[in-house]
Amino acid sequence: MRPAIILRYSGIVLLFDAVFLAISAVISASYSDSALLPLLYSAVIAALFGLFPLIFVPPAKDISNKEGFFVVISSWLLSCLAGSLPYILWGGEFTLTNAWFESVSGFTTTGSSIIRNIEALPLGLLFWRSATHWIGGVGILIFALSVLPSMGRTGMVLYRTEMSSLAMENFHYRTREALKILVIVYVGLTFAEILGLLLCGMNWFDAVTHSFATIATGGFSPKNASIGHYQNISVEMVIVVFMVLSGLHFGLLFAAIRGNVKALWTSSIVKYYLLTLAIGVMITTFSIHGHSFTSWAEALRFAAFQVISLGTSTGFATTDTALWAPLAKLIMIFFTLQCACAGSTSGGIKVDRIVIFWKGLLRTVKKLRHPQAVIAPKVDGVVIESDTLEGSILYIALYLGIVFLSSVFLTALGVDILSAFSGSAATMGNVGPGFGIVSSMSNFSQIPNIGKWILTLTMLLGRLEIFGLILFVTAKSWR
Amino acid sequence: MGIRKKVLFGFLILAIMLFLAGAWSIYELKTVGASVQRLLDDNYKSINAANSMTEALEREDSAVLLLLSGHWKHGREIIESGDRSFREAFRIAENNLTIPGEKSYIAEIHKAYGVYKNLWLRPIVGTTREKNLDWYFQEAHASFLNVKLAVNRLRASNAQVMYQTATQLEDKAHRAVVPGVVAIVSALVFTIMFNYFINRYMVSPIIHMTKSVQGFLKNNEPFRLGVETKDELQRLAEAIQALVAQSTKHQASS
Repeated sequence: MRPAIILRYSGIVLLFDAVFLAISAVISASYSDSALLPLLYSAVIAALFGLFPLIFVPPAKDISNKEGFFVVISSWLLSCLAGSLPYILWGGEFTLTNAWFESVSGFTTTGSSIIRNIEALPLGLLFWRSATHWIGGVGILIFALSVLPSMGRTGMVLYRTEMSSLAMENFHYRTREALKILVIVYVGLTFAEILGLLLCGMNWFDAVTHSFATIATGGFSPKNASIGHYQNISVEMVIVVFMVLSGLHFGLLFAAIRGNVKALWTSSIVKYYLLTLAIGVMITTFSIHGHSFTSWAEALRFAAFQVISLGTSTGFATTDTALWAPLAKLIMIFFTLQCACAGSTSGGIKVDRIVIFWKGLLRTVKKLRHPQAVIAPKVDGVVIESDTLEGSILYIALYLGIVFLSSVFLTALGVDILSAFSGSAATMGNVGPGFGIVSSMSNFSQIPNIGKWILTLTMLLGRLEIFGLILFVTAKSWR
Repeated sequence: MGIRKKVLFGFLILAIMLFLAGAWSIYELKTVGASVQRLLDDNYKSINAANSMTEALEREDSAVLLLLSGHWKHGREIIESGDRSFREAFRIAENNLTIPGEKSYIAEIHKAYGVYKNLWLRPIVGTTREKNLDWYFQEAHASFLNVKLAVNRLRASNAQVMYQTATQLEDKAHRAVVPGVVAIVSALVFTIMFNYFINRYMVSPIIHMTKSVQGFLKNNEPFRLGVETKDELQRLAEAIQALVAQSTKHQASS
C-alpha cells in the first residue's frame, strides 16, 4: 500500500470539501453573519491540505482495491475532521466534542444534533451543516456502489449478495461511467426536490438545505421544529416522495429513469421496502388515532411522515413522537433498525439483509420438515449462497450487538434506558432522532461527552458497514 | 513542478496558515479591545451615573428628614449638595444615550425628579409640614421612591446590555484563541506530511541513486532510475544514467 497515493486522492476530497466551505463562506458574507471567518479559514486549511499532496505526489496509473478502499475511508475521516473546523472556530455551543459529533453526524448522514437552538446559528454555518449531508451522500454512493463491490471477498458481504436485478446494474456500471450515472441521479434528485419545495412556497435557503438533507437521507433542518416548522402539507408530501426515492437503490432508480421501470417494480427488495413502509404507516395511524390525533386524516399525515422519515433513515420530524402510543414507538424503533435499500444513501441493517434473513429462516423451517430436501433460497430468481446467508445473519447479529453495547455504555453514563437504546439505534442506523431525551423534537446535547464520542463511533460503524471500519483499523493484517 | 517550487510551496502553505490565523487572532483581539472600551464608555458610564444619582437621592431623602425635624441649615446644606451631585450624574447619563429606549428612561427620571424637587424646594421648617410624618410618607418619600425606580430602570437596562456584551466577549475571546490553536495543530500535521514527502520524493531517490552508482562502480551493476517525479531529480538521474551508459560504452571499446 502506498500512503502517498492515499494522501493524494484523499486530498481531492478535501478540495471538494473546501469548495463547499467556500460556498458557505460566500453565503455567510452575503448575510453578513458571524461565520464568515471560521468558514473561510476552514476552507483555506482544507484547500491547502488537499492541494499539497497533488503537487508532490505524481498521479498513479493503477490503484489497488485496498488503496481505493483506504482512500474512501480516510477521505471520510478527513472530511469529518475538516467539517468540524468551522464549528470549533465559530464557538458557541460547539466544544471540540460537540463539533466532532455534529460533523460526523453530518457526513455519515445521521442527522443527530447537539444544538439546542438551531435557528440561532448563522446561515453560513447552517448551509455548511446541510452540505456535509450532501457531500457524505456522494461519498456513500461511491463507497457502496463502486468501492465495496470491487473489494471481492474481503468481507463485504452485502455487496456480493445483492440478489435483485440491482446487482446486475451495480456490476454492469462498476466503472467511471457508474460514478457519473450515480452523480447525475443524485444531483438530478436534489434539483428536482429544490424545485418542488420552491413551488410549495419555501424560500431558497430552506429549499436547498432541506433538499441536501433529504436526498442524502440525513435529516439536518435549519429549523428547531424541523419540517414541523412549516405546518405545510404540500412541503411534507414533496419531502415524503423524495425520502422514499432516496431510500431506493440508485442503480435501479437510474434504470427506471432510463425507461426500465419494470426493474424497479419486479425487484422483491423494492416490493418488501414499500410494503413494510405501507404496513408501518397503517399500524402507526391506527395506534396514534385517538391517542395523539383526533382525526384520521391527521393521524395518517403524521404517521406517514414519521414512519417514512425513520424508515429511510432521514430523521426529519413534523411532531414529537416521544408523546406517541407505545405501539407506534415500537414500529418506529423497528424502522430505525431496518431502514431502506442497499445502494441508497440510507443506513441501518437494510432491507436487503432483512429479506435474505427471512429467506434463510424459511429455508430452515422447510429443512426441519424435510431434512433430506435440497432447498436453495432465492431472491428474484438468484440463489443465495450459504456464505452470503451466514454473512447477512452475522452482520445483523453484530449490528444488534453493537447497538446493545452502546446502550450499555450510555446507561452506565447515567442516560435512561429508552434514550440510550433508541439513541444508539438511531446513530448506528444513521437515522438521527430516537426517543426520550433524544426524541424528534429534542437533541443529543444532554448526552455526556464520553457518550457523544461513543455515538460518533457507532455512526461511523453504521455508515462504513461495520466491516469497513474494522478492516480499516486492522489494515496491517490485510493479505 | 521543480524541487525549488515544491519546497517553496510547502513553506508558503505553512506561512499562509500561520499568517491567516495570526491575522484573524489579531483582528478578534482588536474587536475584543474595542468591545471592552465600548462596554466601559457606553454601559458602565451610565451604570455609574445611575449609582451616583441613587446615592444623591438618598442623601436628599435624609436631608428632607432633617428639615422635617427642624434642622434647617444642616438639612439645606445636604439637600443642595445632593441636588448638585444628582444633576451632575444626570447630565452624564443624558449625554450617554447608547442603547435603544435609554432616552425614555432619562425623560422619566427628569420628570420624576422635577416632581420630587418641587416638594422640598418649598419651605418645610416652620410650616405645617414640619414634623408631619404623614406628609413625608405620603408625598416626599413616595416621590423619592418614584425617582429611584426610574433610575433603577436605567441601571438595569444598561446592566442587561453589559451582560450581553460580556457574553459576546467570551465568544470573541474564543475566536481569538482557537485559530491560533488550529494553526499550530495544522502546522504540526503539515510539517509531518511535508517531511514525509521530502523523504519519499527527494531524499529516498538520492539515496537510491547513490546506491545505484556505488553498485555500478563496485560490481558494474546497471543503473536504475528510481525517480517517480518529473523534476530536477529525474533530470539528474537521467544524466547519471547517460554518464553510466557512456562509461560502459567507453569501457567496452577500450
